[in-house]
Amino acid sequence: MANTWGYGAMTNSLGDIQNAKAIIIFGANPAVNHPVGFQHFLKAKERNNAKIIVIDPVFTKTAAKADHYCQVRPGTDIPFMYGMLHLIFKNGWHDEKFISDRVYGMEDVMEEAKKWNPKKVEDVTGVPADQLIQVTTLYARSTPGTLIWAMGLTQHSNGSSNTRLAPILQLALGNMGVEGGGTNILRGHDNVQGATDMACLSDTLPGYYGLSDGAWQYFASSWGVDYEWLSGRFKSKEWMGKKGFTLARWWAGVLDGKDGNDQIHNAGTNLKNLFVMGNGITSIAQQAKVKEGLDNLDMIVLCDPFVNEAAILTDKQDDVFILPAATQFETSGSVTATNRSVQWRNKVVEPMYESKTDHDIMFELAKRLGFYDEYTAGMKIKENKQDYTWPEDATDEIARIIKTIGLTGWTAKRIKSHNENWHMFDQISGRGYGKMKGEYYGLPWPAWTETHGGSPLLYNINRSVAEGGMGFRNRFGLEHDGQDLLAGAGSAPKGSVQKDGYPEITAVNIEEVLGIKLTADEKKRIGKNWKVDTSNIIAEKCMEQGIAPYGNAKARAKVWTFPDQIPMHREPLHSPRSDLAKEYPSFDDKENHFRVDTKYISKQTEQDWSKDFPINLVTGRLVNMNGAGMENRASKYLAALTPEMFCSINPDLAGKYGIRDGSMMWIHSPEGTKIKVKAKYSHSVPEDRIFMPFHFAGHFQGEDLSHKYPKGTKPYAIGESANTVTNYGYDIVTQIPETKGGLCRIEFA
Amino acid sequence: MSDIGNARLKFYCDEHRCISCDGCSVACAEAHELPANINRRKVVTMNEGIFGLEYSLSIACMHCTDAPCEQVCPTDCFYIREDGIVLHDKDKCIGCAYCLYACPFGAPQFPQDGAFSIKGVMDKCTMCAGGPEETNSDKERELYGQNRIAEGKVPVCAAMCSTKALLVGDSAEISDIYRERVLSIGHGAKTQPYGWSTAYGSKI
Repeated sequence: MANTWGYGAMTNSLGDIQNAKAIIIFGANPAVNHPVGFQHFLKAKERNNAKIIVIDPVFTKTAAKADHYCQVRPGTDIPFMYGMLHLIFKNGWHDEKFISDRVYGMEDVMEEAKKWNPKKVEDVTGVPADQLIQVTTLYARSTPGTLIWAMGLTQHSNGSSNTRLAPILQLALGNMGVEGGGTNILRGHDNVQGATDMACLSDTLPGYYGLSDGAWQYFASSWGVDYEWLSGRFKSKEWMGKKGFTLARWWAGVLDGKDGNDQIHNAGTNLKNLFVMGNGITSIAQQAKVKEGLDNLDMIVLCDPFVNEAAILTDKQDDVFILPAATQFETSGSVTATNRSVQWRNKVVEPMYESKTDHDIMFELAKRLGFYDEYTAGMKIKENKQDYTWPEDATDEIARIIKTIGLTGWTAKRIKSHNENWHMFDQISGRGYGKMKGEYYGLPWPAWTETHGGSPLLYNINRSVAEGGMGFRNRFGLEHDGQDLLAGAGSAPKGSVQKDGYPEITAVNIEEVLGIKLTADEKKRIGKNWKVDTSNIIAEKCMEQGIAPYGNAKARAKVWTFPDQIPMHREPLHSPRSDLAKEYPSFDDKENHFRVDTKYISKQTEQDWSKDFPINLVTGRLVNMNGAGMENRASKYLAALTPEMFCSINPDLAGKYGIRDGSMMWIHSPEGTKIKVKAKYSHSVPEDRIFMPFHFAGHFQGEDLSHKYPKGTKPYAIGESANTVTNYGYDIVTQIPETKGGLCRIEFA
Repeated sequence: MSDIGNARLKFYCDEHRCISCDGCSVACAEAHELPANINRRKVVTMNEGIFGLEYSLSIACMHCTDAPCEQVCPTDCFYIREDGIVLHDKDKCIGCAYCLYACPFGAPQFPQDGAFSIKGVMDKCTMCAGGPEETNSDKERELYGQNRIAEGKVPVCAAMCSTKALLVGDSAEISDIYRERVLSIGHGAKTQPYGWSTAYGSKI
């Protein structure tokens, strides 16, 4: 996403889906994971006659509401999308003008698409050729069409190729930057977009500034701390710029290459302590490895409103600390929704019993580790305060520093005013009226200045920049292979002084691009470029001239820094089709991938996995639970809906193994792990695959861990974690685990 | 606006919208603090996993006008309010389950832990209107759960419904809502009635 057009976020909004004429959903189940948001899909169907097309290995609740359902084999989204592109280009359904003005590198995609005729797609994906032709015809002709995805598209060893080809499909049809179009990625939990924006990531500073020295310098001065002090916190300066471990593979950092585990590159030492704040690490792939990692730590600290079941999973007896964290009802602050909009959340009650809010826990920790003053300095800078007010000053600090995604407009005062006046906004377009006129609800980022009303629909050139319009971001240079990367003639946002493409705005080019003259004072105060201009001069001047500060460039279909420049099909590491695994092999093994050596081709070719493990394994969510499920399973009424861990299995498959509906079954993984779960007959899965929810914990490889719960904390429902048997495999760019396309073997228990 | 004096309160579940999220049934159980095996409201899914055939509906007491439960009750514990809500008196109920025989929807529920436990004898959906006890008294809450109707609130199941499949209220108003849904088919997203074209131009 970010590598295609500048930002990695939902481009439109849930409400805007009502404007779509067709909705295509890849690997997402919004009826279960976004039940309230799903009403917009249903309204699109109701009011707009929008056709819903669902592409999913499992027949979901979303598929039950679809007009067309394509049951693809796990890990074959790329062949399916190329199959669509094949037909689109062949029949001339693509938007030529849009492509020539606003997209770079589509020729290579057209070339690759030629190879994927419907017959071949049928062989690889399992979707009948006729059906592919039918849904492609429907989708290509019903514009605008919106494309939805979630974890079913990303959690693959080539997930980062999947998430590039989906945007390319939308670009080819000219479905970008229009109402009812866009790529609408559904974030799975409350405030995931906000957490990502604030860098709950190991490869960047907040706001996607990266880890370059310049970025560190910018943050040091913006936080009001000494750069030398900051770099002194690292083993040596070079480690400031290195990516850290990820959530998917932190345990490899503990195990340090011992006993055949993957080698790490961590300055000659392994990880010794783990501090977890509100993260269900019992729903991460390869639970046996997570357990091994936990067991080998010196210290574990778990902060959660409920007992984090990592404490139950580990055999570690000493130095495991469980800190009671307050819930969201016991604190206040801003949260960012899936469509990049922000809301203020008010405190309902004071933290109960001995629980503390997350920020208090972090402040206390910073005090004891001796950097509390530096930690809080950034909140006091703006008005040179002696002390800060939480959380308003933190919110204003974010607004002051984060220019890259345009958070300048997100001052605490403005965010609160939106909540207080939320009856003054249209529910579909987000437009405010009355005293909120000129603003969009929640100021969807980028909100370039302190008065900008937000941008509900990314890359829309039919609106002026002041009204939320913009072209694609100029993020990948001015030219590549001798071709201009700036947008074509006439494709600038409405009301702009520049009618064509233009570069991102810097102190050097601002006068030329905007056609203005800066005063001597402005020249003195202006920052180097729009990303670090805390004076806001660049953004303010840009608004006056109708210019997007980040430039107006082409989206790129080709990412020359990735292993595959255009997305290519590669079979999952554990593929049921060994013939296709030879034809479409995985990547070369990757050394030092987020500090861990990661296997691809060597794992795929280690043996013919499909022989011993003939069944595809897919995991997903249930409507009554989220994440690791601890708080849901501790709720009597939610637990009652699914009181036991289960595996959905087709009766024809179950029958072959003598497994009856409701009887117990073993599931074995290629990693040598196993789980014992209850079989649930279901026609939602065909005979070659099974489905399991990933919200359970408290059993491990057949053993009941009930005795390990601290008194009074055992939830109503416990069970095996599906992730004990999810397979090895991580994305080549992001390292997200390959949980949506593994293999397993089953037997009657 | 319907004539409040003649209102008949009804439930309606739009099968095109129900996604079987169970928000209604969980909200009901939570609001009325029901014992684990009492399902005043249940979501039923038919033909699960089969394309084109799967559909779901949320079912509870339908508050029949000519309620069979009321007719068969040997202790005459049922009474029908003027607004059409069917309620019963747990002090008169003997838990015989004749009403369960009569009910076309399987609405009456019987606690497994006996007549003298929480919610005792027969229990069913009250449309969040409590029972014959003094309104919003402790005893009413204990036996029948919340009385939201008395507070002017919508029953909790419909209030919680994530896709607004489950509608409740005066039957005339419900049919108005459903009629609007049907008539709006194919007419595009609901446009803002507050004069956007004037403020922002019709193109955007």
